[in-house]
Amino acid sequence: MGDIIKRKDQLEVQLKDEHQLIQSGVLRDESPLDVSEQFQKLCGACRIGDLKGCQEAIATGVNINARDHFDYTPLILASLCGHYEVVRLLLESGALCERDTFQGERCLYNALNNRIRNLLLQYDYSKSTDPLQPLASHITSLLTRQTPTTSDITLTASSDSWNLHKFILSARSPYFKKKLSAAPETKVWRLASSIPAEAFQVAVRYIYLGEVPSDLGLSSKSFVTEEEILTGIDKISKQLEIESLWEGLLSGSDRRIARQRHQDEVTRGRDQVEGWFRDNVLKFRVDVATSKVQDVKWIQDNGIFADVLLRADEDVDQEDELSSGQETPKIRNTLGPLNGIPIGPSESSRSPSKTRKPRQSVLFPAHRAMLLRSEYFQTMFESQFQEAQLTEHLHVIHVDCSPAVLEIVLQFLYTEKADIPLDLAIDVLFAADMLFIDKLKAKAAVVISTLGTGGGSALVDRLHTESGDEVEMEPINVYDVIRAGWITRVQRLEEFSARYLAYRLEDYIDDEDFEELIKESAQRIQKRQETDSIELLDDIRYYLSERFRLRFEDSGLEDMMDENGEIDAEAAQTIAASSDAKNNERVNDEGIVMNAAADPFMNGEIRTLDGEIAGDEFAADAINYQVLLGKIETLLEKLKLDA
Amino acid sequence: MVDSHFDGALAFTIAQSTRQAGLGASASGSDFDTQWDILRSALREIHEKNASKLSFEQLYRASYKIVLKKQGEMLYDRVKEYEEQWFGSEVMPKIGKLITKNLTNVTLGGVPGTTANERRITGEQFLKGLKATWEDHITCMNMTTDVLMYMDRVYCQDNRKASIFTTSMGLFREHILRSKAAASNCITFDILNYVILDMIHMERDGDVIDRNLIRSCVYMLEGLYESDDENETEKLYLTVFEPEFIRTSNEFYFNECEKLLRESDAGTWLRQTRKRLAEEAARCQTTVSQLTDFKIAKVVEDQMITLHLNDFLAMEGSGLKAMIENDRFEDLTILYQLLTKVDKSQEALKIALQARVVDLGREINKSISETNFAIAQPKDDDAAAEGADKPKAQTLTAAAQATAAAIKWVDEVLQLKDKFDNMWETCFEEDRIIQTALTLSFSEFINAEPRCSEYVSLFIDENLKRGIKGKTEAEVDAVLDKAITLIRYIQDKDMFERYYKKHLTRRLLLGKSESSDVEKQMVSRMKQEVGNYFTSKIEGMFKDMSTSTDLTNDYRQHIQGLGEVDRKQIDLTVNILTSNYWPSEALGGGKPEENGIRQDCQWPSEIRSLQDSFTSFYLKSRNGRKLTWLGYLGHADVKCHFPKIPGKESSKERRYDLNVPTYGLIILLLFNDLPEGSYLSFEDIQEKTQIPTMDLSKALTSIAVLPKARVLRKDPMNKEIAKPGDRFYFNEAFVSKTTKIKAPVMAGSSNKVEGDEERKATEDKNDEHRGNTIDLCVVRTMKARKELTHQNLFAEVIAQLSSRFKPDVGMMKKRVESLIEREYMERVENASVPTYRYMA
Repeated sequence: MGDIIKRKDQLEVQLKDEHQLIQSGVLRDESPLDVSEQFQKLCGACRIGDLKGCQEAIATGVNINARDHFDYTPLILASLCGHYEVVRLLLESGALCERDTFQGERCLYNALNNRIRNLLLQYDYSKSTDPLQPLASHITSLLTRQTPTTSDITLTASSDSWNLHKFILSARSPYFKKKLSAAPETKVWRLASSIPAEAFQVAVRYIYLGEVPSDLGLSSKSFVTEEEILTGIDKISKQLEIESLWEGLLSGSDRRIARQRHQDEVTRGRDQVEGWFRDNVLKFRVDVATSKVQDVKWIQDNGIFADVLLRADEDVDQEDELSSGQETPKIRNTLGPLNGIPIGPSESSRSPSKTRKPRQSVLFPAHRAMLLRSEYFQTMFESQFQEAQLTEHLHVIHVDCSPAVLEIVLQFLYTEKADIPLDLAIDVLFAADMLFIDKLKAKAAVVISTLGTGGGSALVDRLHTESGDEVEMEPINVYDVIRAGWITRVQRLEEFSARYLAYRLEDYIDDEDFEELIKESAQRIQKRQETDSIELLDDIRYYLSERFRLRFEDSGLEDMMDENGEIDAEAAQTIAASSDAKNNERVNDEGIVMNAAADPFMNGEIRTLDGEIAGDEFAADAINYQVLLGKIETLLEKLKLDA
Repeated sequence: MVDSHFDGALAFTIAQSTRQAGLGASASGSDFDTQWDILRSALREIHEKNASKLSFEQLYRASYKIVLKKQGEMLYDRVKEYEEQWFGSEVMPKIGKLITKNLTNVTLGGVPGTTANERRITGEQFLKGLKATWEDHITCMNMTTDVLMYMDRVYCQDNRKASIFTTSMGLFREHILRSKAAASNCITFDILNYVILDMIHMERDGDVIDRNLIRSCVYMLEGLYESDDENETEKLYLTVFEPEFIRTSNEFYFNECEKLLRESDAGTWLRQTRKRLAEEAARCQTTVSQLTDFKIAKVVEDQMITLHLNDFLAMEGSGLKAMIENDRFEDLTILYQLLTKVDKSQEALKIALQARVVDLGREINKSISETNFAIAQPKDDDAAAEGADKPKAQTLTAAAQATAAAIKWVDEVLQLKDKFDNMWETCFEEDRIIQTALTLSFSEFINAEPRCSEYVSLFIDENLKRGIKGKTEAEVDAVLDKAITLIRYIQDKDMFERYYKKHLTRRLLLGKSESSDVEKQMVSRMKQEVGNYFTSKIEGMFKDMSTSTDLTNDYRQHIQGLGEVDRKQIDLTVNILTSNYWPSEALGGGKPEENGIRQDCQWPSEIRSLQDSFTSFYLKSRNGRKLTWLGYLGHADVKCHFPKIPGKESSKERRYDLNVPTYGLIILLLFNDLPEGSYLSFEDIQEKTQIPTMDLSKALTSIAVLPKARVLRKDPMNKEIAKPGDRFYFNEAFVSKTTKIKAPVMAGSSNKVEGDEERKATEDKNDEHRGNTIDLCVVRTMKARKELTHQNLFAEVIAQLSSRFKPDVGMMKKRVESLIEREYMERVENASVPTYRYMA
């Protein structure tokens, strides 16, 4: 590993170089000092490995690449403290661990174990991409995309013409916003002939979030000089009010600076599209009784350039609970916070429902160009079915999910952002699976597996934290989660559920539903014909050993872990087995030295799960572990399954 | 519309922990049927081309729900089943109608009972029908795949099943192509193959067919695979159609070639083959697949070219021989292009061309030897009819004829060379292999003519003397190029050098050379071509000439400076020749005397004093050199005074400026002091002058026999050359129209073909020289290597000398033997192979 990780002195040289670059203003500091409270909360969560806390802090929009007073970034903290899950969450949320930067190398240097280090190396910047890049490249690709046709306006300049999208033009250029809102039916836009087409080409690429080329790509065939083009670009950027175009052009050849500029531009573009999305798509949503949906007619040349209406139906059950209702179905207005998602100021009055309202539907005006990011919609619009045909009025396309979920989906498609509340996460997961939006699916899975952990810190062993028998209100239904994980083929959720179950196994082990779940898991394996073990149970056993191993820090297990490097499922088994053996030894051995101070519950009576009084908590853990493993065996025998 | 949101099975309310069994199998049964009904009716609509009314969303949702409920397999099977049914009930009957009895019969190998036109029409209908079916199928399956996207992605991937599209392609293969239509007993595929091949056959016979139609059917075969793995090499096109296509094509072209062989000539064959190749290439572009391109080309090449190549090349009247003979460049061009495809090394063409070149070359050689024979003949006559006037003249012309024949030989060789060069450029794309082959053949027959070195040198001599007169620089260049080309072919370069030097000597000393610039150009070219060692002596000769001119001028000034006016004014021009640059045999008229020292002649006193004067002048600045005067190479201008002829009134005193060989001058000076009417016998002259018999005879002949400058009278008066016993008188009655007379030079001073004797002498000299060269080379090699096996030594020496000549192994053995004797080297005793060691 020595050749991969830099030595300490090399790191220091790197730090000096980077400082110089940053001070001279060449490079932007990717890890600025941040003393805000939220950031400190994030750092705290990273130290103790609080997944939920991390996710919440990240959701507030704090810069996860910032550093604290001691020059620590959250990623360094998490990797230093050995919280694998947190490190993964941070990396997935865009934390940088770039080789050849001081902070990146430091992160690798500080990683607690090889497992974390390898994870960090996997996410090296060169492999991971800017989280906004997929959005940017999709928008850029709209320029050249042939099928299905999504363009609704043609810009023509002397010799060239471009098939463009009104909503992108108005989102990105204040000039077009004004002009197009005045005349939304415009189909062709003639450009000043005095400006060379090449200049427009650059401007169009810029508007569509493409990378502005460092050279203008003048071929020998061009009839115009570079100067003419630059003058043209200058004129255009003034006319269209897109002044930042110049910055991109001037970024020169430095790779990192150019990248930063482009990232900034993409971020700005995203914010513009997002603003546009809120002010138009969300604002003009239509709430209507389901039975009246067919009466909603939107013409093609509408003010927000939508070319399709997406319909989602309220859940019948929730309909009763929600008091919001509409007097007249065809009025467009915004709705107050729905299921806890803020979507702008509430305008309509919430009149209490007098009678039982008919089932409600919500229609979102949308743009095919953006919906294409979902393979489902792409196939739909490329096919020969009804939805792909152009009609006088916009098609109303039913999306099989609740309006709140649809809104999250749309937000993601337009902005790459997804604020998924836990209670909608599974619904979003299903919707994303159905619509083939893998990124959103992953995001939903992250939300479930982080926020779903419950409690303040990492999965807390309830044997120790809960003194009484009071049942905590669990934020999720783990059966639903694991089944959703199976159905949508998200490995992460399977792992998460196994972990979740392992840490609460005493609550579930006697449950009939649990039995059912194990059966299902066994069936799944039979079908796949991969192994003859039950995946879920193996996972649970593994996490169970992990759960109890935490208690035996000084038992030498940790050393074994390091030797083995990564822990895969098989290795886990052997470790579990050996810890098992050790356990037994310890139970029999009276003269064990324990870390008594670590256990706040030393004083009380310590009972194991089967009601015996154990000598101390340590012994109790050991016995508990055995008891739980025993129960699993019993369960298997009962189900007549081999494992 | 089904719009229940997350129907029972999926709905779970958050944070309520109802823990309902969620996705159990409870909700299967009727639910599946509901969704399947929707999908089935949609499939029907799709197949009936009424899809535009269908909602993608609804169908997708139906399939999505089925898959979520783990009933993907059922759905998959049902769709398959539906397709099978559709093929069975809707598609095959239609195709069955297109398959007529005739179609079946001919496919089964029966004799076509219908005309080509009828066959074409039924075939086209069949293809059209099949094509339409295929296109419909693709369209339907694309739409079906769209709708079943979730099933493909989730169910098929999880269960490692081929996508529904792939499966449906397989169904098409099994249920349409590989099944028998009603009322016919052969499968569709065979009919399809047959129809396509039949149409291609028609096109080959000159009919017009619907290429696009076939193309679409081929596309279909390219889109289908043997199995659902869709292995690229298992396209039905490749596994089924192509082998059949290749097989029938093989047959077709085999027959065609046989027919051509029977009925046509090679030219037709070439054109037909070219046409067929182009046709097949175009067919791969427009009718069948590009994949077959090189395979079908191979078929044509094999059947049409390789198989009968030699038969066609040997064809009487149109084969390769005739093509070359009659300059059928177009034929040759096609031939070359075709052969390039088959065999890059051009073996067949190479061999044929080489044979042809050698044949033609032999003919040229033969004609020259016949000419030589013709010369020899009159010579015999001459000997027989001694004394007669006529044969004398004939001897001269015979020698000239031989020279002319030599030049003619060179010209013919050059013509042949030009012809093949031209052919090589225009027909053979300047192919390197062929060039090498031609060079080899030329070299072969040129060296087969033993006198080639002499002839080539004579050719150059001829051109440098007269040939280049009035020619432009470019033309002269061309002549030089030709000469160099010939030199390149000659193996025995040392022989050539010898002749060239000899001929050059004459040109230089007799002032026959047309242009010294061209001479030098020639030399520098030879230097480039053959090497420095080859030209160093020749260059020395030129250098001698130029220093001689300077020397003469210097001497003249020196004389004037002395102011010796009283002496008789004899103007002297000298050529100082460095002895080892110049070929001695070319200098000498006769052979050297027995003792090897050339007997100097008795110079008259006037000349002797002149010689002394020059010698002293020359040696003043150049110590240690020896000058030998070669009288037989010089000539002199003599002013002759003839008195009135006593018997003739009309005659008067005459003065002539006579140009005679130096020996002639010496002889004439003898007559100065002779009383009128007396004579000198041959022996007298010889005694007084000490001129060797041969030279004397020549000199006397030129001034006493040849009529142009017969200032002496020979007794007996005949046209024979002067010989001992003759008596010579001053010819007072000599009359000439011009005052300046050049005594004609006897034969031998002009360059012509050597007689056999001369030739032998030259060869002997050359062999001697070769021997020395071999000695040198062997010693040099042994000195460097110290010890060398016999074989290696010989190989080495031959390699080193190859640029000059090809050493004779017998001679080499002799030389080595002699070297061992002279103790340059010794045999290594007890060596397993014969080995030599150098002795220091």
